[in-house]
Amino acid sequence: MTTATRPRVPIKPGYFTIPDDPGLPPKLLGTKCQDCGEHYFPRRAICARPECLSEKTSDVELGPRGTLYSYTFVHLPLFGSSNLEHAEGYGVGQVDLPEGPRVQLPLAGKQGEFRIGQTLEAELNTLREDGGSDIVIVRFRPVEAGR
Amino acid sequence: MRDVAVLGVGMYRFGMYYDVSNATMAREAGMAALRDAGLSFRDVNAAYVGHIFAQVMSGVRVMKEFGLTGIPVQRIENASATGSAAFREACLQVAAGHADVVMVLGFDKMTTMIQQSTQGTAPENMEDAILPAGFFALWATRRMHERGMKAEHLAKIAAKNFNNGALNPMAQRQADTFITPEKVLGARMVAWPLTTMMSCPMGDGAACAIVGRADLAKKLRPDRPVVRVTASDLQSEKYARGHLFMGPVVGPAQMTIDTSKNVYEEAGVGPSDLDLVQVHDAFAIEELEYYELLGLCKVGEAEKCIEQGDFERDGRVAVSTDGGLIARGHPGGPTGLAQIWETTLQLRGEAGKRQVENARIGLCHMMGGGSVCVIHILQRD
Repeated sequence: MTTATRPRVPIKPGYFTIPDDPGLPPKLLGTKCQDCGEHYFPRRAICARPECLSEKTSDVELGPRGTLYSYTFVHLPLFGSSNLEHAEGYGVGQVDLPEGPRVQLPLAGKQGEFRIGQTLEAELNTLREDGGSDIVIVRFRPVEAGR
Repeated sequence: MRDVAVLGVGMYRFGMYYDVSNATMAREAGMAALRDAGLSFRDVNAAYVGHIFAQVMSGVRVMKEFGLTGIPVQRIENASATGSAAFREACLQVAAGHADVVMVLGFDKMTTMIQQSTQGTAPENMEDAILPAGFFALWATRRMHERGMKAEHLAKIAAKNFNNGALNPMAQRQADTFITPEKVLGARMVAWPLTTMMSCPMGDGAACAIVGRADLAKKLRPDRPVVRVTASDLQSEKYARGHLFMGPVVGPAQMTIDTSKNVYEEAGVGPSDLDLVQVHDAFAIEELEYYELLGLCKVGEAEKCIEQGDFERDGRVAVSTDGGLIARGHPGGPTGLAQIWETTLQLRGEAGKRQVENARIGLCHMMGGGSVCVIHILQRD
């Protein structure tokens, strides 16, 4: 379902997609090594594996779902945010993507809502407004069982 | 690392100094180290400056405080491991025979950094979401899941370090009462399960070490034991699955394991030979992990060893004897040199109330974001 929303602008281009349909989750923008198959986030030009170091790399989309490896809740306002939700603190997690990379990003929710091993899905979250646009970051939200 | 010794050490007490400049702190720490060595700046052949939050020329300019003698001066930066990395360069310089006496000077003012950061525009970086406290809290949560660690174990480490720091006149945090784990647990939460008392403070300070040919040490100060640098290693990380490319990245486990193996081999000692150890305990969970990664205890046994008091000042091996980063403070550039200051005093038997009995071998370990691991072993003759 699509709803009318303000334009969404990434805090920094090149890290995640902004789907035209606001009901769809974003995908992370990563890299795949064409020689060894390793995936990376964020994007990089040269494979990092010491035994590979190939320059044959290409852009890929990663996620949007992953598994929670570890989590915390930071009791400080999120830097650079004017979103009231971020004033009291914010979750942070390490999420293992099915393609391989582990990513470290904010989480939606509170301390008690996270557990290691749970499935999460990427979403866009407004950090602040800029003119008529929303400046957005990507974060992960626990996927409720059965959803 | 044969024939390199610590000739002198000096510090400007870590703290919050809004009215004291970097140049003043650096000069006082440097002059203290020269006096300790029994040397004049005229005797210094080269200098390495460790300074993180640096402007251009800040290395060579601060050295002018001591006089203009034409010596080579270089600034080294490697995040939290800056002072340790600079110390290593000085030791290599002496070992290579290029210099007999080298000054290593670390200083930083996080209070200035805080003032500057609030004047800037809003951050535009995805990485700004993850603070170091958040990053290390993720280690803690995972450890709880894998090994059954409890916040109480971290509180016991932090309480130990606060109580060690109370015996160190150069420590930034000076507890006026005995600190219990309960008090640490009751402090304000920063990033669950890490409280403010399980985290290092912001601060300013300076520290200096003079390194030189070991035979000079005996000539200059025949009244005290020679403290040799018997091993030095610095490694950056190797790629492994689970590596994080975004956010604060400090210390994959294997990097500390590999670096410590190298220094144990170079010095010809093992972890069981160590009398005292300084680690990068910016957050208490780090110290716990490094017990295992440095081989001070077996993997999976850190919690049990903490409960037994193995790493207390009078325990099996004393860790963070000067209060560690948590109580002694962690201004940045000088931190690794504060570890050298503490270990040198301990090995000379000059550590006062916090003296580890008959200390002969000490290890200094620092992690730098990015990331790197630097380890030195110091031994009394």
